[in-house]
Amino acid sequence: MLEKIVALSRKASPWVAHFNSGGCNACDIEVMATITPRFDVERLGIQLKGSPRHADILICTGPVTGQIRERLLRIYHQMPQPKYVVAVGSCALSGGVFHGCYNVMGGVDQVIPVDVYVPGCPPRPDAIIAGIAKVLDKMQEDALSKDGREREVDHGC
Amino acid sequence: MDFLADLFKLLVFPGFLFVVNFGLFLEWVDRKIYARMQHRVGPPWYQPWLDTIKLFTKEDVIPEKANPFMFTFLPVLDLAAAVTAFLYLPFGGFSSVNPFPGDLVVVVFFLTLSTLLLFLIGWYSGSPFGRVGSLRAVTQFLAYEVPLVLSLLTPALLAGSWSISTIKIVMAQNLSRFLPVTLLALAVSLLSLQGKLLRVPFDAPEAETEIVAGPLTEYTGRRLAFIRLAERAELVVGAGLISNLFLPFDKVLGMLGFFVSCVVVVFGLSVLRASFARLRIEDTTLISWKYLIPFSALGMALAIMVRG
Repeated sequence: MLEKIVALSRKASPWVAHFNSGGCNACDIEVMATITPRFDVERLGIQLKGSPRHADILICTGPVTGQIRERLLRIYHQMPQPKYVVAVGSCALSGGVFHGCYNVMGGVDQVIPVDVYVPGCPPRPDAIIAGIAKVLDKMQEDALSKDGREREVDHGC
Repeated sequence: MDFLADLFKLLVFPGFLFVVNFGLFLEWVDRKIYARMQHRVGPPWYQPWLDTIKLFTKEDVIPEKANPFMFTFLPVLDLAAAVTAFLYLPFGGFSSVNPFPGDLVVVVFFLTLSTLLLFLIGWYSGSPFGRVGSLRAVTQFLAYEVPLVLSLLTPALLAGSWSISTIKIVMAQNLSRFLPVTLLALAVSLLSLQGKLLRVPFDAPEAETEIVAGPLTEYTGRRLAFIRLAERAELVVGAGLISNLFLPFDKVLGMLGFFVSCVVVVFGLSVLRASFARLRIEDTTLISWKYLIPFSALGMALAIMVRG
């Protein structure tokens, strides 16, 4: 019973932090459009938080550049467990048009674990909301299963 | 049995559980009104409770640069200060836990205490954003504290007493005569309460587009939940205090009247939040000293003239 309430609370109150890992800003504009009143993501409990310490979901846009790699890792480690990552846009998935560049890691999943990929250049707000909704189901499942995200508690930062 | 009854008062009603749940309810009212003003549907009614439960089950992180003792102790103390303030408020036909002449000052003191605790919360979190937020919180404290207290003293002047329950009785008996006089003070107290609770347009201390989250930047999990609950409890105390002093509907309607007048106050705060953008910290101080304080002084002068 208690576990179910906890799982429900995880699912119903995702706070997101938005991080531009070297993108061209198109995806960022779409992420900003997602949280405008028109789409009303507060129905799902989604709130945009400034601090990664408060966030459950990290939304990453952009191929990870060599310079931003350390920052991305630091932001990721600053988030409290259980934490999830959504990669938004073609660049965040595979490096996109920057694939193979000397200064680009080629996708967010080369640096930190990614849970959901939202393709598009840039993806529409509906697609981003659908991606976050997929993570929400995963959050609920993980909270209910015994070997969920709780085990990988990392200390530091 | 006396001891158990006291414990019940402290922890369940009108203490901790009641204040926290009522605070979360008022948060939902606030968020719903805000959403409707933006032509949205808004969150379901159980949203604040689920947010709190989620925060309590998240990982706890103590940053290396933070002071571990203060980092753990201050959020709890913050909540305790806010809940204690509510114990001194009479509401819905119940008298306060310990009524005495001068409890108005005690409630204002506890509200001030939780602002100073917010300063310490940011200061000891070891983050530059936290420190900047703390300093802004204290600067803003200089702005709204004087008009808030002056406007709360206007009904006290009319009633000729510092005791909340006496003020309430006098205000309820002469509501038609006194309410027009106190309207100015009511407006000033709503604006300064908005500043006290660090809400838009006076949210420079927590400005998330400039300084991440101000004093709360480094807080995670249950410590953040405690601070958030303390903020909700402050909202309850502020709304309860204004409803006791200015809108004592519960003398007529009982408990329902208290809820109605609190929701009316929160409605006013939500309208303010929805219709303005954030002010810079120096503008907050300027507006307070140029407009709020003269108007609250005018309100007091009106009260003195009416009382004769």
